[in-house]
Amino acid sequence: MAAITLSPRAAVSAQRRSSQAALAWRRYKRNKLAVFGAGGVAVFLVVGLIGPWVAPQGYQQSNFLYANQPPSLRFPFGTDGLGHDMLSQVLWSFRNAIEISFGATLVSFLIGVALGLWAGLRGGVVDMVVMRAVDFMYALPNFFLSLILVVTLGRGIFPILLAIGVVGWAGYARLIRGLVLGMRNGEMVEAARALGATQAHIARRYLLPNVTNSMLIALAFGIPFDLIAMGALSLFGLGPRPPLPSFGNMIAQAGANVLGYPWLLYFPAGIFAVILLSFLFVADGLQEALNPRGGS
Amino acid sequence: MRGFAKFLVKRLVALVVTMSLVIAVGYVLMYYSPGTFFSSANIAAALGQLRIEDPSLYNQYLHEFQSRYGLNQPLITQVARYVWHSLSFNFGNSFENPSVPIMSQLQKALPISALLAVGSIVLAVVVGVPLGVVAALKRNTWVDSTLTTLSMVGQAVPAYVLGVILVLLFGVWFPGVLPVNGWGSVGQAVLPVVALSAGNVAVVTRYTRGSMVEALRQDYVRTAEAKGVRHRRVVMRHVLRNSLVALVTVIGPTFAFTIISTTWVEQIFSIPGLGSLLFQAFPDKDVPLAITSVYILCLLVMGMNLVVDLLYRVLDPRVKLE
Amino acid sequence: MAAEPLLAVEGLRVCFERAGGSIYAVNGVDFSVAPGETLGIVGESGSGKSVSVLSVLGLLRANGRVTGGTAKFMGKDLLKLRRRQLEDVRGRDIGMVFQDPMTSLNPTMRIGDQIMEAMLSHHYTSRKGAFERTLQLLEEVGIPDGRARFRNYPHEFSGGMRQRVMIAMAIACEPQLLIADEPTTALDVTVQVQILALLQKLQQRRRMSIILITHDFGVATNVCDRIIVMYAGKVMESAPLDDFLSRPAHPYTIGLRRSVIEVGDEGRELAAIPGMATVLTEPPRCCPFASRCSFAEDRCSDVLPELRPLGTEHFVACHRAEEVLSAVQARKPVGQEVVSRAG
Repeated sequence: MAAITLSPRAAVSAQRRSSQAALAWRRYKRNKLAVFGAGGVAVFLVVGLIGPWVAPQGYQQSNFLYANQPPSLRFPFGTDGLGHDMLSQVLWSFRNAIEISFGATLVSFLIGVALGLWAGLRGGVVDMVVMRAVDFMYALPNFFLSLILVVTLGRGIFPILLAIGVVGWAGYARLIRGLVLGMRNGEMVEAARALGATQAHIARRYLLPNVTNSMLIALAFGIPFDLIAMGALSLFGLGPRPPLPSFGNMIAQAGANVLGYPWLLYFPAGIFAVILLSFLFVADGLQEALNPRGGS
Repeated sequence: MRGFAKFLVKRLVALVVTMSLVIAVGYVLMYYSPGTFFSSANIAAALGQLRIEDPSLYNQYLHEFQSRYGLNQPLITQVARYVWHSLSFNFGNSFENPSVPIMSQLQKALPISALLAVGSIVLAVVVGVPLGVVAALKRNTWVDSTLTTLSMVGQAVPAYVLGVILVLLFGVWFPGVLPVNGWGSVGQAVLPVVALSAGNVAVVTRYTRGSMVEALRQDYVRTAEAKGVRHRRVVMRHVLRNSLVALVTVIGPTFAFTIISTTWVEQIFSIPGLGSLLFQAFPDKDVPLAITSVYILCLLVMGMNLVVDLLYRVLDPRVKLE
Repeated sequence: MAAEPLLAVEGLRVCFERAGGSIYAVNGVDFSVAPGETLGIVGESGSGKSVSVLSVLGLLRANGRVTGGTAKFMGKDLLKLRRRQLEDVRGRDIGMVFQDPMTSLNPTMRIGDQIMEAMLSHHYTSRKGAFERTLQLLEEVGIPDGRARFRNYPHEFSGGMRQRVMIAMAIACEPQLLIADEPTTALDVTVQVQILALLQKLQQRRRMSIILITHDFGVATNVCDRIIVMYAGKVMESAPLDDFLSRPAHPYTIGLRRSVIEVGDEGRELAAIPGMATVLTEPPRCCPFASRCSFAEDRCSDVLPELRPLGTEHFVACHRAEEVLSAVQARKPVGQEVVSRAG
């Protein structure tokens, strides 16, 4: 195969590492969807933070005289059956969406990393058991387990976050374990050691970048996944307890009432979809930027 | 053939063990949930109306439940009993409707859900593979970019959001074009299947494209070209055939997610499948129905995983059955 | 004696487009192969030897483009053919064997089917005929028990056997020209010898021409009738085997010869050519070897030496070819390299 050899690369230096990050950033920026996604995520975070303060009304405030009104100047997103201002409901929902999705992802991440590290470092029986558990979690539809957990634990923010997080650790565990094994046995490590590098040096220069990249991508995919699970819980009546508004609840209720009051669906569903899309564009963009494969 | 038999036996054993675990865990969790039906007191309270109306029937039900589930016995025994019953498909009656055996409910609901889920995967492959091939062959052109973007969008929007939007579309904006609920006619099947399959089509398209692009770079493709094999055959036999292997590996997890999405879609479109049973069971803490429904759904998934593993073996001769 | 060449390449230029700019892989290459002759193309990685040949058959990767030249084969310019016509030529008139037989064979297809595919694609014979012929081919390339092994997959063979399968595939339609791109590089040394012997045997039996691409100068001198040496996408020297062995006239060729390690060389200092093979990001305007050449003078970094005749059939691209030649023939130390033999 015609091999175009370039001169051998210089050993990894600190300069190079930061320019790798810059290179990745440039690759990321080239992807318009990814940039759009990043914007969406930023908006999501900001609204989550300031939403409750900017909202015209508290989420519990009912305006019974104005129940079931289509969008108007006073109520830009309309009102629901109890006279809640939908705009405020939506703005308030951002907060628990962030809490639950980020929280659940964090839980999954911590459990997964812990188990993955344990399996990778200990090896032997521990490794086998953990890997079987991973296969188990992967093979089965674990959303149902989340359902059962919510029934058992209750419908508060924290129990829901736990219920979703506890079933999602398999991916992270597999990832970390793979990386740990790669660390211990990889050819790159052997080569570095042959050159006299110390363990710490190897860890810092070669392994950490790989690990953080993969982890970042996994997390970027994990958050929208948990958001979806959160919404789905509401379909089963197991989402956050009303009167606390959440995207899932709004969509589920709007779905039931859509024939009469379609505006109840437009905004929650549309915004929810945009949030999901944003995260996924970002995740995809990160994947391309950090793990580029030849496009042609 | 002996290796095959061994493989099958191993898988069945694994299936039984896994299912037992699932059922046991489900049972224990439900046992500890507040207001659970796994206590005589709660059942008595729930059946309160019946007690007044028809005391003998009430007593009969109460007694049935107590003896079947061993409600007076330690948890371990209860779990063991329940697992045994479930594995032998001896499901008893639903708590919510004590006169209705769960088995009959399942028999009506299962075919519907199975059809939806499997149909969605089949549709995804039939539509997604050609799209993926096109995207790969025309990579880096506008065709590819459009398909890729559409795929990303399709994957992002979960089935229930899409389903609700479709209900909006065909229930409010264009009423009468397609029915938005119920099940039985072909027309009624259209929207639920679309809602369910959009994500799967997207996944299959992306995976096919990815693995085809990868296969196109392989040396053996160049060898085939160097032999003078016609381009069409190169694409079909050398590139596509080898990318299908990677695709098959992703069908397993995809099916698991499809089963989940099926339950969502059933609710939105009022389809009487397992998802609806689940929906019924959970808020009312109708535990046997809930756990059994989950159990059956998991069985479906594991069955599909087995099929996928067999298929993988057929497609890639390098893989040996373990 | 000068018969009509089977394949005549003239002025071939190939470019690769990359995000950072173009890479000029082949910059005006001429060579030809006569019927029944074995031509060796020798060079380091990156010299453009594989690319030249791949481009003739239209097998370049997507970002490669032929930007000039002709490749006349059996009266047609291969570079101007459409894909359909090219597919006719490939496999039927020109067969190719690649470097790594593990990745070059389809892992999900039985090897017998892969060999048959070569024939069936050209309607060379009936299905039954192709099957019979495949068995014959397997025997001819030295794979015993062909009937059973027909049904095996590539991963069930050793490296040497896989290469034999590749060769069988390449000669299935009795092509007039067989191109072997580093056919032995991925194999053990003992197996290398066997494969080369096989190629020679096949050639004699079928009166086939062979182009052998290799970076191993020793391999080339063992098997080839004529050799061309390439560097940075240009031909440095082209000559019959004798001339190469006794009258090499290009500093690069001499460097390559020196670097061949043979049995009995113990104690001799390894003579490596200083520097690294270059990759050209713009077309060469001077001798590409100048920076590494011990014969270089100012002219070499200014003017591009053209390939010119030095004797019958002997061509060199060097400003100082005559001096180099006389230095070699006088057995004087060449340039600054001092070679001393122990004992």
